[in-house]
Amino acid sequence: MSAVDLPAAAPAAAPRKRGRPPGYASQLAFVVAGLVPIMTFFAIFAFAPIAIVVWLSFLKYNQLAPTAPFIGLRNYAFAFQKDPYFLNALAVTLKYAVVAVPLNLAIALPVALGLNQITRLRAVFRSAFFLPTVASAVAVSLIWRSIYDAQAGWLDGLVGWLGIPSQSWLGDPSLALWSIMVAAVWQDLGYNILILLAGLQTIPEDFYDASKVDGAGVWARFTDITVPLLSRTLLFVTVLTMISYLQQFTHVAVMPNNPGDPLHSTETMVLYIYTKAFRNMQLGYASAMSIVLMAIILVVTLVQMRLLRSRWEY
Amino acid sequence: MAAQDAAAVLDTRAEASGLDAADARAAEARSGFGQWLLVLGFAVLALVFVLPLLLMLSDAFKSPAEIVKVPPTLLPQNPSWQAFRTVLQEAPFLTWYRNSLVVSLSVTAACLVTSSLGGYIFAKFDFPLKNVLFTLVLATMMIPFPVLLIPTYVIANKLHLLNTLWALILPGVVSAFGIFLLRQFAAGIPSDLIEAARLDGASEFAIFARIIVPLVRPALGALGVFTFLASWNDYLWPLVAINDLDKSTLPLALNFFNTAHSTRYDLVMAAATMAVVPVLIIFLIFQRQIVKALVLAGMK
Repeated sequence: MSAVDLPAAAPAAAPRKRGRPPGYASQLAFVVAGLVPIMTFFAIFAFAPIAIVVWLSFLKYNQLAPTAPFIGLRNYAFAFQKDPYFLNALAVTLKYAVVAVPLNLAIALPVALGLNQITRLRAVFRSAFFLPTVASAVAVSLIWRSIYDAQAGWLDGLVGWLGIPSQSWLGDPSLALWSIMVAAVWQDLGYNILILLAGLQTIPEDFYDASKVDGAGVWARFTDITVPLLSRTLLFVTVLTMISYLQQFTHVAVMPNNPGDPLHSTETMVLYIYTKAFRNMQLGYASAMSIVLMAIILVVTLVQMRLLRSRWEY
Repeated sequence: MAAQDAAAVLDTRAEASGLDAADARAAEARSGFGQWLLVLGFAVLALVFVLPLLLMLSDAFKSPAEIVKVPPTLLPQNPSWQAFRTVLQEAPFLTWYRNSLVVSLSVTAACLVTSSLGGYIFAKFDFPLKNVLFTLVLATMMIPFPVLLIPTYVIANKLHLLNTLWALILPGVVSAFGIFLLRQFAAGIPSDLIEAARLDGASEFAIFARIIVPLVRPALGALGVFTFLASWNDYLWPLVAINDLDKSTLPLALNFFNTAHSTRYDLVMAAATMAVVPVLIIFLIFQRQIVKALVLAGMK
């Protein structure tokens, strides 16, 4: 990294500024000039949207209707009491996240541990695992759509060769969500491998050497050194992955023939919110569901941090 | 000189992310039979892992007759550019490319400027309401974008941004994560350095542009990679904000293309290849820096 060439910088700035000693006034002017535009953008695209989504969730607001009457909590009540599709989306989302997060970590952690053991070609392998992460989720969905294709797909050829009958990977309601999950986990494994590997590499080798001297076996070294020292990284990776999987949208929108197909079995909350808001134009109702989604994500995050922290803190 | 010290401090922080320390450790080689077996295992695993990407390439180079063969051929028997030509002729692919580039580069450039400026201001200045404003900014990090999808649409509609590229650029101009990341970095810069520059008569802006920005460059690299990829690959917001095909970005256009030609995997895969391969190549060229940057951002 290049160091700053201060002597060269100062004279260049000096002629303009000489005679106005740097004081609180010029600093405050800099702060105001810098922060006003930034905070304006935050106001328009972050603070205002939060207020608006809360407000809309109390309205019977349909873009096609002339008025938007205030209906209090009725959108929320409707979602939980009278909308089976909302409850379905809730179940699909939770099912997806609860299975996909452990699936992701169950692959990412052993791969990271293995990569940490090899001395050759590690960077090459790391890059190979990271490649799908760089690709767009839409492109990845299309690739896997072709792999799962019932007529010309690769997977049917493979399972046929193994003697397993051909499956409708994306058309069978009991299979579709899992098929999509495999594609999505395949896509973002690389990021977790990368972070876990970096976490592993910060553990001092001395710790392992010392425990070898003490006669600790491979498993003991894993549970007594690796797991506790990797706990912060594991917590970070678990929470981030969970948050992102609770927002699954692109893969379930692109891979099935129609978003959420078959029979709503892959309709996640974000997909259902999108459909209600922009296909049925029920912006008020969809806003209420967005608030529910946010509450779920916050609660899950807090609970996870509490649970995992108490287990892994040392 | 103080500047060098600061640079050294920041460099150590970058190294602390571990990737290089590990290479040194790896030098203390655990070679032998087990090592080779592990490398071989990973070679096979990595090949299986990237297989879907190879299948994409393979399908893209097949002829319309070969693509429908059951069972599918592993490699194209007569590799041809036919599918790519058809995609470029039938669809405004170059327009989509340009749209994606314009949006992603604008968002990345703007985000780097506002994050470094905001991060520096929150790290090194005292002013009224500082803590309130910073807390508000941080709080927005807790809200996932899908939750703000509807109000963002309502606001973009009011500002007449819908169905223009501005709708995709303006919401990405500021990033709470970016400001947070850069504040962490700017906080590590010694205040004496800034005071010394002030005594030398440097303007506040000159201090920012000539001292602070070079010192936080590792963080800017990380943020830039993150922001560009997120913007380039974004699907949900463009899907809502853009209607016209000639305003579409690549992910949006890819899906449109798929809906229009869902049985022509040669065409869909050729389009996917054109969208994905340039990003993959850029990643492979800059992988050392990118991996380091991503870890750095993740570890903060």
